[in-house]
Amino acid sequence: MAAASSASYADSPGRLNLRGLARTWELLLLLTARDVKLRYEGTVLGLLWTLAKPLLQALVFTFALSTVLRIKVGYDVPYVLFLLAALFPWTWFQSSIQSSAASFSNNAALLKKVYFPRFVLPLSAVTSQLLHFALSIPILVLLLVIAGYYPGPEWLLGVPLLTAIQLLMLAGAVLLVASFNVFVRDLEHLVEVLMTLWLYLTPILYPLSMLRERVGPVIYLNPMASLIQAWRDLFLYDQLPGIDIWPALVFTAIALVAGSITFKTLEGHFEAVL
Amino acid sequence: MRPSYSDQEVIILENVSKRYLLYPQRMVELKRALLHLPTFLKATRSRQPFWALRDLSLTIRRGESVGIIGPNGAGKSTLLRIVSGLAPLTKGRLTVRGRVSPLLELGAGFHPQISGRENAILNAVLLGLSRKEAQEKLPDIVEFSELGGFIGQPMRTYSSGMYVRLGFAVAVHVKPEILLVDEVLAVGDAEFQRKCFAHIEKLRQDKVTIVLVTHDLDNVKRFCERAVLLNQGVIAAEGKPQEVVDEYLASHFEFSAATASRGDF
Repeated sequence: MAAASSASYADSPGRLNLRGLARTWELLLLLTARDVKLRYEGTVLGLLWTLAKPLLQALVFTFALSTVLRIKVGYDVPYVLFLLAALFPWTWFQSSIQSSAASFSNNAALLKKVYFPRFVLPLSAVTSQLLHFALSIPILVLLLVIAGYYPGPEWLLGVPLLTAIQLLMLAGAVLLVASFNVFVRDLEHLVEVLMTLWLYLTPILYPLSMLRERVGPVIYLNPMASLIQAWRDLFLYDQLPGIDIWPALVFTAIALVAGSITFKTLEGHFEAVL
Repeated sequence: MRPSYSDQEVIILENVSKRYLLYPQRMVELKRALLHLPTFLKATRSRQPFWALRDLSLTIRRGESVGIIGPNGAGKSTLLRIVSGLAPLTKGRLTVRGRVSPLLELGAGFHPQISGRENAILNAVLLGLSRKEAQEKLPDIVEFSELGGFIGQPMRTYSSGMYVRLGFAVAVHVKPEILLVDEVLAVGDAEFQRKCFAHIEKLRQDKVTIVLVTHDLDNVKRFCERAVLLNQGVIAAEGKPQEVVDEYLASHFEFSAATASRGDF
């Protein structure tokens, strides 16, 4: 006979898709809640660490770059605000990729014994980091207000829009990384180093203009450059993202396609190596 | 021309084969893969195939309880993994009608740092319930597992017996239509085992389809209407539990005691 194979499951005929979708969504919520809970289990500060960590990180960078190196950002805002406006969304990006890289390989027991939509595992890492990011926005608002800047109505459109772009980009990226990591575990270590490099290549600690002067249009190869710049313009100047954001959109589309194809192709082989 | 409800075929395997490629260990090491690229590629291409199931056809009807027996490595667990959707098949066709609850390993996916209650809910949703249904079933699950006040404690404080009890309680309370049981009932004390089997018996009366993989031949005779003997990935015998078990024992006896002559079973 031909090498063709097929498997069909008819669970609750007629309602299959809707039910399956609802279940996937609930699974994502439950796993996200578990992830958030586990992250700070046994700590005194608990969820406060979500806010304390990027703030402390910002203080370190501010000390190093603003006080020691005396970097000139050319913005009329204090360096801490200039930094945080980019560092908060970047932290969401970086921690999502780092914490989801091993999400398939670390859940071997579960993947081998229960069938469920597996892509929720890396996605739940992204959504739990999104929650941390969402919690950090009020801090940013507070600091902006203290410094005399008041968020405009543009935020109401800009924040959901940029969040959606970054969420989709991350969804594709983590599916790609987590799927490959099942076969090549080196990836989760490599990713850690690469993300640090990526942080420095992206205008987070310094302004985009500084990079543009030196490397020119090459910056468009870094999709995070345009996305981070869009976040910063929104947070600091109430500016909605414009045409400049196209590299991020292109990368999001590529990440989504590549991520889902990779996952679909490799998923069937997980059980052989896990 | 619809088959009547009770006769409906819920698991249909048609000419199913399952091949495992034995990946060489170096597959997972990027450094060596890159340094020895030619050898690596050659090794990847010549991966050893292992056929866990060969051209196997089996049909199971609603409400049937079928025991799968056979020596280690016969393909019993692979069969369950395929039916549960965990392992993709290499060749053939599989049709499954109904919600499958696999009891392949009790408490797979339980996380030691969170409470038994949270784990039970998450596990029930993983097994196919909605969150609301899981919440509603929780009192039954807690009662069945006999965990009492421990349900709010993190699972790292549980004994292995408590772990298994909660795992079984969740698995049988997710309203399964097809229950796949893989040897898991060998764990737990005698009292809890008795309780598990009593519950499975109840599910059976509720027309839940049960596929039981076990080395406990007495259980097959006691709980199953049909038995299937697997050997090296093919069905060696199929029929009434007593006859299949006898045949298995006879052939097993033949394997282990080479002195036995070929009997006329």
